[in-house]
Amino acid sequence: MKQKMNAKAFKALIAMAFAISASVVPLSQSFAAGESLGKSCTTEGLMTGTKSTSLVCVKGGNGKLTWQRVKLASGTGRPVANLTPPKGEIEFWHYRVELADQRALVKIISDFEAKYPGTKIKQVVRDTTTYNNTARVAILANPKAALFATSRGAIFDQFAKSDMMLDLSDQRYVKQNVVAKGLTAGQYEGKQLGIPYQYLFNNPIVNTDIWAKEKWTTPKNLTGWVNWCKDAKAKGYVPLAWPGATRGQAAQISNSALMNSAGSYEELAKNLADLNSGKIDLTSKWFEGVADIYVKLRNAGCFPDNATGVTEAAAYNLFATGKSPILPIGTFAMGSIVGLNPNLNGKMELLSMVLTDGKVVAEGIMNNTYTLSVNKNSALRDQKIANAFLSYLLTGKVAEIYANETLQHVNVLDVEYKNVNLLNTVSFQAKNTMLAPRFLLLTAAVSDLTQDALIQIVGGKSPADVLPDFSRQIKQKLAG
Amino acid sequence: MGLPAAIIFAGFYFVPFIANLRYSLTRWDRITEPEFVGFRNFINLLTNDDLFYKVLGNNLRFTFLVVLFQTLFSLIFAIFLVKNSRTNIALRTLFFFPTILSSVSVGMIWLFMYDPNFGAINLFFTRLGLEGFALNWLGSESSALYAITFTQVWFHTGQMMVIYIAGLQQIPQELYEAAEMDGASRWQQFRNVTWPMSIPTTIVVMAYTTIQSFRAFDLIFAMTQGGPNNSSNIFAVLIYQTVFSELRIGYAATQSIFFIIVLVFVTILQRKFLNSRYEK
Repeated sequence: MKQKMNAKAFKALIAMAFAISASVVPLSQSFAAGESLGKSCTTEGLMTGTKSTSLVCVKGGNGKLTWQRVKLASGTGRPVANLTPPKGEIEFWHYRVELADQRALVKIISDFEAKYPGTKIKQVVRDTTTYNNTARVAILANPKAALFATSRGAIFDQFAKSDMMLDLSDQRYVKQNVVAKGLTAGQYEGKQLGIPYQYLFNNPIVNTDIWAKEKWTTPKNLTGWVNWCKDAKAKGYVPLAWPGATRGQAAQISNSALMNSAGSYEELAKNLADLNSGKIDLTSKWFEGVADIYVKLRNAGCFPDNATGVTEAAAYNLFATGKSPILPIGTFAMGSIVGLNPNLNGKMELLSMVLTDGKVVAEGIMNNTYTLSVNKNSALRDQKIANAFLSYLLTGKVAEIYANETLQHVNVLDVEYKNVNLLNTVSFQAKNTMLAPRFLLLTAAVSDLTQDALIQIVGGKSPADVLPDFSRQIKQKLAG
Repeated sequence: MGLPAAIIFAGFYFVPFIANLRYSLTRWDRITEPEFVGFRNFINLLTNDDLFYKVLGNNLRFTFLVVLFQTLFSLIFAIFLVKNSRTNIALRTLFFFPTILSSVSVGMIWLFMYDPNFGAINLFFTRLGLEGFALNWLGSESSALYAITFTQVWFHTGQMMVIYIAGLQQIPQELYEAAEMDGASRWQQFRNVTWPMSIPTTIVVMAYTTIQSFRAFDLIFAMTQGGPNNSSNIFAVLIYQTVFSELRIGYAATQSIFFIIVLVFVTILQRKFLNSRYEK
């Protein structure tokens, strides 16, 4: 028990040290772990955090690795304060119905309204499905909806094509307050039409207690995962709490299957673009390889019994009750898990899920989403309010409230993560992660049918039956 | 006098119907300008769309089963609960109760009930040692539509029962007395008095149930969204997906035209069948 406590205390200390080194100690001082500007380091690319004062380990002209100031923003200079809004009321449309998000946003909005009397932000919140299906048309017809959110991929693309987003490229807060790498998902035809607020990791979450109890180490490749599943199953666990009945979340693991399925990110992006346009179909050699990963995992007993009937809620339940050591969804599920079982607070970490025995292109997945945009069709005054509120959301102290309440990493500089789950997982920002590839399938029908085909394979069908069938369905959809 | 009605009809039915016909001849994603494609959507739908035929089959099967069982159960319950005793009134309230719930709530309740690993239904079968009946209800292509059919019947039987009770209470008591004096058994009384006299109510119940089953969008959307592999998809869900998820407005307009044709065809068949019984 004492040993366990000591281990816990040590882990907490490490986490604290990381947080402090990443955020509190000035650059001129030495860091707890020895990171300081100009000093030598060992792991190229390793970052101490996402603050304007953070350091990154880089190779100099002399070939030596040293700590240098990380340039996370696209512009130069420190993060700026928010813009001042005029008086008036706007609507903020988004899809974060989760209680934690509501708690955070209600507080942020009331702070903003208190700071600027006469300015009001009214939230209009719909669940993701309803929002994705109806919000674009509703916002197009409603100029009061001056600020709105979109998710990365097909939905952002649809909104962008509708010419309803104001170009934010020249805003100072965009250049100086936001992690530049995370801006890509909000760009369209060279314009910054949205600012992705969340910095997510769509990687499996592991229950560290079970992991330590069973003395497991992270499998390094597909064979390792297959063997791990067999072992976990033999020990009575459901290896992966995979929600086959909820397409959107079932699809998260496909990011891991896709990320190392081609020789490079460019090659993978091309394959997905070709699949999206109908140039290739699911019977292509490349996709057969992806399907084969699912077959191997299925045959190793990785997925729950009756996997295609397991809903998202049931999968969370499997993980939260300790029946399953891994929830293959992402960091954004941690808040719900803690809600279901508070004892898991601080006992969740991310795992790399390398599902190849060949070349490793990436170790994990990240995604920038909950992209916030200003409505181009709103009145100028409402646009100014929306812009000011967006700049307020993108200040470190405010984003911190959102991050720590919702247990989501954010795409904003100078955020101090206090939550133990965020601290436990923030180190993934330094890993070789890939922007979630499944969202490169921009045609909703193609994306849905591709995921459905993989779900059918987990359900027990043979790729030889499923892939031609779904390829035909995709072809018919593209023809229509 | 008829002008307001004509305006409402034109505004809410005729104009949208004409607009729908126009859209069906276009390829339109609600973002770019509609492109006129003639009858291509119709040709595609009939010759190159397996999903359309699958959904047509699902919809007809779903409607047939729902109409059959909902009518049957509501009639049986009505016959047993037609007298206004205290117990009957309490039971009627109980059977009517699901009707007052929203479809989405009903969908969510049954989603939990059908859960293959935690659900009450599989738990019930497993406890009884009937593991063979513990199915992957909503996750399997072979059972999803039937599981939703059961839910739909459970959801609306009480409502139809009330309509039947109202109908049965209109049957003159003298007819039963005369039948009893003639020595008719309970079954004969049902066959020769109750059933023929309740055919007008049955026409109403069946027409209403048919429309209800074609419109079971919310229940299906909450439970399976038409999956797995479209095995529980019906026209209402398909059209929604084509419009809102795939942004193929022209094609969805074409689907909705066929939806109306199928609905009209089913209704005519049904009315012909019931009217022939009524005239007998």
